[in-house]
Amino acid sequence: MDFLIQAVVIGLTEHAPLVLAAIGFALLYRLTGLINVAYSETITLGAYFGMWANTTFGLDFYTVLLPAGLMAGVVSVATYLLIFRPAKRRNVGVLEMIIISFGLSILLRHGLQFVFGYPVRFFDVPPPNTIDVLGVGVSSFRLLALGSVAVVAIGIYLFIQRSRYGLQIRALASDEELAQVSGIRPLAITVLIWFIAGVAGGLAGAFYGVGSSVAPLLGWRQFLYILLVVLVGGIWGLRGVMLVGIATGIALAGMSLQFDQVLYAQLVLIVGFLVVLKLRGRRLTEGAKV
Amino acid sequence: MTLDWLDAFLISGLFEVVVVIGLGLLLHLQLGLTRIANFGVVGFWGVGMYTFGVAYVQVDWPFGDPWQYLVCVAIATVVAGVSGIVVGWLIADLDTDGVLLGTLGFAAIVAIVATTEQDLTGGALGLGGLRFPYDVGTVKANELLWLAIVTVVVAIILFFVWRVHRSPYGRLLIAVGGNEPLARSLGKPSYRTKLWLFAVTSAGMGLLGAMYGVMVRFLELSNLGVEITLAAMVGLVLGGTVRVWGAVVGVILTVGLFDILIQSYLPLPREWYTQAIPVLREAVFGAALIVVLLFRPLGVLGDMRRDRLMRKLHGK
Repeated sequence: MDFLIQAVVIGLTEHAPLVLAAIGFALLYRLTGLINVAYSETITLGAYFGMWANTTFGLDFYTVLLPAGLMAGVVSVATYLLIFRPAKRRNVGVLEMIIISFGLSILLRHGLQFVFGYPVRFFDVPPPNTIDVLGVGVSSFRLLALGSVAVVAIGIYLFIQRSRYGLQIRALASDEELAQVSGIRPLAITVLIWFIAGVAGGLAGAFYGVGSSVAPLLGWRQFLYILLVVLVGGIWGLRGVMLVGIATGIALAGMSLQFDQVLYAQLVLIVGFLVVLKLRGRRLTEGAKV
Repeated sequence: MTLDWLDAFLISGLFEVVVVIGLGLLLHLQLGLTRIANFGVVGFWGVGMYTFGVAYVQVDWPFGDPWQYLVCVAIATVVAGVSGIVVGWLIADLDTDGVLLGTLGFAAIVAIVATTEQDLTGGALGLGGLRFPYDVGTVKANELLWLAIVTVVVAIILFFVWRVHRSPYGRLLIAVGGNEPLARSLGKPSYRTKLWLFAVTSAGMGLLGAMYGVMVRFLELSNLGVEITLAAMVGLVLGGTVRVWGAVVGVILTVGLFDILIQSYLPLPREWYTQAIPVLREAVFGAALIVVLLFRPLGVLGDMRRDRLMRKLHGK
């Protein structure tokens, strides 16, 4: 029982940003059917923007979340307007679209080093307190990060499911032409969704960054897990993405405790997801889109 | 004949170009003809490299070089081929998203296993003890001979690809890649075709990985990053994904530009070479992928000239 509690507490607190990042990625995937590899750099840039605002202006961590999220959102929209929209208008195929996003991911990952420098950077924040949660010591920082992630994730979920814009977003995702006939402006709504996805990714990046360090590979290291969570959880919609994201975090934490080695946990997880992918076959990935 | 102009930088630059051309040619068969987007090239190449390294260094063989070398390379190639069958089985009936996930996942698994099994692979410390399977005198002479051998192997791969384009098998690959349901409805075994193509090309990538390991003589985990996948892909895309010579032209224009021209001939400050140039290289490669696919999706060489080729082959 202790083991289970430990796994749940550590899994939830340590891997909370994964859920947030997966929600942002899933929004893009559901709307455009595009696997945007460069989403990993939206996450990385969120961490860099947060670190920059923190170290340059001396803002505390919770204040820097605002510029980090907004700036990542703006970058996300810029990538859509400058690259993915022109590509779509030129009728670039699905495979080529993924390669373009792969190229963009590489370009951003290395280009940002010319702006922020080559060495690994850190947030300048006071050392967190350790709080006892069900017998497990958790840093105050991660606990507050979990709370923020929960609020933001539920906020995005409610926005998509309940608000008027959310309805338009879902309408556009399921049938673009019908949505246009109904008076929905596709460009504005598409820009909105790229912005929300960017904000979610940027915030996830800031949470990742403050928990450890800010480095060019920060987002790329998470990308495979985000992809796994979205492709498998996406069949059950955004709720599925959230639940599979949480389950993944807990499974990673539990296996890390069991094996005493994080990498083995990651190995088992990747193999497990790939087996699920194979068992569900083509239906899985197609089903995840709508 | 004096070979003073051929310094260590130039030899390693040429070697890099030749190996990436080989990977690009194999990727051309997967991506260009059969439309399997392998984003895990590094996984298969890494499996070959590390299997070779472990077999060569950790096993006590009863015979010495060159037999030890040949046996270890054969093992590495077979293991990479078997990984190709497993991954191919996983992804052959999935769409592009599933292929991306499967190949990226495989590359991640290879990197994790190479890190955790440090008793065998040396983990983060690296694996030393690799050497050339011959000794013809100086280090430079050994490296040059190795460069020549690898060039011959890549030339054979090029010849194979050239033959595929002119064979019924090539037409089958193009049919499966172009419209899989149609190919299947015409009775072509599309699943089996993709699976075997993936296995054979993955084995080729493993072979190149093993040969690369001999040249660098010390295996490090940094070899298992995304860079080699990117180099092969950008070369292929720039040159032309569907053309036989696409990878050759593209890799010379990209890897050749950075690893030979800039590395050996441009009078740039030395300190740039440690960080600025390698980072710039990757950024430029990423930008090249975007620009080429947006403005010239078929690359420098353009579309396949099937009609002309078929007329030439059949004399009509």
